[in-house]
Amino acid sequence: MGNLLEVLNIHTFIGQFHILEGVNLEVPQGSITVLLGRNGAGKTTTLKSILGLTPPREGKVIFAGEEIQGQRSFDIAALGIGFVPEHRAIFRDLSVLENLKIAERKKGDLARKEAFIFNLFPDLKRLIKLSGMNLSGGQQQMLAVARALVPDNKLLLIDEPSEGLAPVLIEQMMEAIRQLSQDTTVLLVEQNFLMASRLAERYVIIEEGQSVTQGAMADLVGDEETIHRYLGAA
Amino acid sequence: MQTAISPKQNSTKAWLKDNGGMIGLLIFLAAFPFIVALFEGQPFTEVLANETGNAKFLQGLLIEVFILAIYAISYDLILGITGLLSFGHAMFFAAGAYFTGIAFKNYELGIGATLVGIVVLGIVQAILFGIVLPRVKGITFALVTLGMASMFHIIIQASELAEWTGADVGLQGVTTPDLINTSTERFRLYLITLMVTFLVYLVYRRFVDSPTGRVCVAIRENEDRALMLGYNTFHFKLAALILSSITAALAGFFHTVHQPIVSPNVAGLGWTVAALLIILMGGVGTLSGAMVGAAVFRLLEFFLDKQFGENANFLLGVIYVLLVLFLPFGIVGTWRAKRFRTQS
Repeated sequence: MGNLLEVLNIHTFIGQFHILEGVNLEVPQGSITVLLGRNGAGKTTTLKSILGLTPPREGKVIFAGEEIQGQRSFDIAALGIGFVPEHRAIFRDLSVLENLKIAERKKGDLARKEAFIFNLFPDLKRLIKLSGMNLSGGQQQMLAVARALVPDNKLLLIDEPSEGLAPVLIEQMMEAIRQLSQDTTVLLVEQNFLMASRLAERYVIIEEGQSVTQGAMADLVGDEETIHRYLGAA
Repeated sequence: MQTAISPKQNSTKAWLKDNGGMIGLLIFLAAFPFIVALFEGQPFTEVLANETGNAKFLQGLLIEVFILAIYAISYDLILGITGLLSFGHAMFFAAGAYFTGIAFKNYELGIGATLVGIVVLGIVQAILFGIVLPRVKGITFALVTLGMASMFHIIIQASELAEWTGADVGLQGVTTPDLINTSTERFRLYLITLMVTFLVYLVYRRFVDSPTGRVCVAIRENEDRALMLGYNTFHFKLAALILSSITAALAGFFHTVHQPIVSPNVAGLGWTVAALLIILMGGVGTLSGAMVGAAVFRLLEFFLDKQFGENANFLLGVIYVLLVLFLPFGIVGTWRAKRFRTQS
């Protein structure tokens, strides 16, 4: 299985702050890979660096065999990379339908994906005309994921999908990610280690802006010392 | 097959039902001069013949409201819909006003040629603002646009350009074509500006409801999110600027036709602040709020001035502060929020 995404020794600055000091990661085609690490370790910045929102000053980002570092964000997105930002980043002034429609890259994208999306998130069908600001937190999170499913993305970057969700909704979100990963490769940032370990096949741990270890999730689950040292969980 | 995302079937009947209030207002405003004449005991033929009287005077006042509404809605598109804070919007209006004055006075151009020039001018101005768009954002964009407008304000007052712009006195005695002369064809000009105002509103509503307009709303909410969806946001901001600039220049065209003088004051910061105040009172991002705000702004100014003379400005200031304090979403915005709460 080849890698869909490779990040090679990227260094990213925000203003004068050196946030990423050498991140390496591989995301095999068709896998769910999770980025783990403590708060402030640089997980979200890694996703934003891949997307060109905080472009790396050094290093390479290779997507589907093509170097994409230095390209503009909208060009990177158009290559087939979808992003679900943290904090339920929907457009609050647009309706559910408009939030989905705006994600179309080709006319008819939504019509083709409609059944799949509403099968994953049945609530959204009922709420289709409601404004984004009137959705609950969980519904907004589902809409944010659903929006990334509208175009034909090869890779989905999902930032903290379980953040602030009730346990029952976390289960639903996990099931949705599992189902969508059948067609799309997923790189996930997740604080909830239990959720991450049940979903992902691979992991990458980031500590103070550097990737410190990566491998098969099955190996990490049995490695209590690594979990305790980098994630503070046991 | 009907699905959850299928568009609503549009029919003329549904459109008329949705827009009944607007059509009613349009008919009322078209008939307004005759209603005034009826109360004044003035024959309708005098309204049609543009005879002096309250009907003619109030038409003039409402033409000013319509011009302000066209100008303010153009500002609402870039600030309220797209989220671009510009302090140089007066330049769009003033350039249209000066261009019209110079076209009529110095070159005796016809209405058609002048309007074509207004469109070209609108595009050029928007591109000028567009040059700085990718480089500056937020308050920096506001200050850069203020700088551009200030330069324009200084240039039109330059004595070297007095032959065209009238320097610091402004353009005086512009001769407008007979067809739209505000003295001799007031009722026609009234109907034209009324129709143009509603047409501009409909075009803007269509724009905001279009996929391009939805991206503009998305940019206002969070530009990074729009970028991440694959949109080159610069193109959308430029599209909004072009539409806005052409519209503001069109308002400037009617301003010159109606006055028919052009003061350099229309290029000053005060004229941009007027647009901002109008949409704040009406409701930022509502479009119809710009129309309501323009009516409140001009009519309040007129009636307070008539009643209180030199104290009117103080009272106006107090009223504006109270309106913004107690109706933070503006008149239309607050009304919509209230209606939504009632419905849910």
